[in-house]
Amino acid sequence: MQRRDFLTASGALTMAWLVEACGSRGPEGADKLLKYAMRKNETLERGLFRHTSMDSPRSHWPNAGKALPQYYISDTVPVWDSAARGTWTLEVSGLVKKPLTLTLDMLQQLPRITQRVNHYCVEGWTAVETWTGCRMSEIARAAGVTPDAHYVDFQSFDNNYHESWDMDSAMHPQTLICYGLDGRMLEPGHGAPARLFSPVKLGYKNTKYLTKIVFMPKRNGGYWSDQGYEWYAGT
Amino acid sequence: MAADRHHWFVRLTHWVNAVALVIMIGSGLQIFNAYPMFARRGATFCCYPFAGNPIPHWATFGGWLAGARNWHFAMMWLFIVNGIAYMIFIYLHGEWRDLVPRRGDVRDSWEMVKFYLFIRGNHPRQGKHNALQKFTYFAIPILSALAVITGLAVWKPVSFALLTNAMGGYVYARYWHFLVMLSLVALSAIHIFMVLVVDPFSIRSIVTGGYNAERAPELRNGRPFYHLFKRTRRNTDAET
Repeated sequence: MQRRDFLTASGALTMAWLVEACGSRGPEGADKLLKYAMRKNETLERGLFRHTSMDSPRSHWPNAGKALPQYYISDTVPVWDSAARGTWTLEVSGLVKKPLTLTLDMLQQLPRITQRVNHYCVEGWTAVETWTGCRMSEIARAAGVTPDAHYVDFQSFDNNYHESWDMDSAMHPQTLICYGLDGRMLEPGHGAPARLFSPVKLGYKNTKYLTKIVFMPKRNGGYWSDQGYEWYAGT
Repeated sequence: MAADRHHWFVRLTHWVNAVALVIMIGSGLQIFNAYPMFARRGATFCCYPFAGNPIPHWATFGGWLAGARNWHFAMMWLFIVNGIAYMIFIYLHGEWRDLVPRRGDVRDSWEMVKFYLFIRGNHPRQGKHNALQKFTYFAIPILSALAVITGLAVWKPVSFALLTNAMGGYVYARYWHFLVMLSLVALSAIHIFMVLVVDPFSIRSIVTGGYNAERAPELRNGRPFYHLFKRTRRNTDAET
């Protein structure tokens, strides 16, 4: 085959592939390459991560209020049923010196932070909200996390929804365990009694309806991460 | 054998860029369709008349939100590395001289417009490219760099908070990213249209490198569609 024919043929094949690709998911064989890029991106993103990089919406941006979507995995809004399941508690366990079982009251006794931050959704929207809670790093300190803990899993009572995080992001000063939104106690639609919220991760990493915080040596994926969304999902 | 009109490295990076750009745009539009508007929740947005209308399926790539994101965040490296390699090459090898607009090119591009509109009879004199082409080919790397910078601001709005804030926040960074994409689409569409209707003979030059200088638009007074309905005639009166 002549060089010219080869080039023409490969050009035609490329164009045909592009036309064929319209509206498609792309070739199956590319999955490995995409996963490789995702891992490399994670390494880069972790390298860029700083506890001093803070999210700060401008003061004239209005809070979303009722316009903040309420997402959950169950068929109906998950509500903690105290009559059937007893008092809600937040269990802190795994690689810790002192496992904790925190009630909502105990959680509110911890140093209280109120912050106005952006919510970055994977879909491309953002919403400014004022969240109240305590720093995740405070809970880690109270539980005495051991040095071999590199990941944290945040588990919920919403159909076993969970997402695991890298330690660095979990310890960011803007990563809170929240029980208040816009000056009121959290409502069921937004993850009551308590949820994880941080602007340093996309929305889906921020587990609502929190019941367990488990410190781990290895990551264990998450509800959306296991379905093909990035596990790191850092902003 | 005559020298290639385009060096093999330029031809290679041109087509790699074409593939990378198409995938970046398709996957970007698929991502956009997850929230086909710009307004922050609980706020309004001034400047997008098609809010809420998804991009047609045929223009998207990646199949679903996560698939498109994974393609977008993988292909961006090919787009960036290929673009940088091209820029380094044309700097070191000298091709930039044919692409950087000179002082007279503003007037010359007006002359080209007049020529295309039949106000001027003869094709203006040109080097490798006419003045309109030079502005276009000069703008593409600039727009590509803007696409990357606005893209970084959307990808990492907290890590690159300074950058995102400089663009007016996440909502506007996303909007600028979209507008830069639209300008790249517009210039690419004009580029492809003009290649097909003015100088289809140049397609060979970006594939194999070969080019018949006798068929250059300057010599046959090539206007859009001109060669399709009129026999080529040598432009002997190029001085006027």
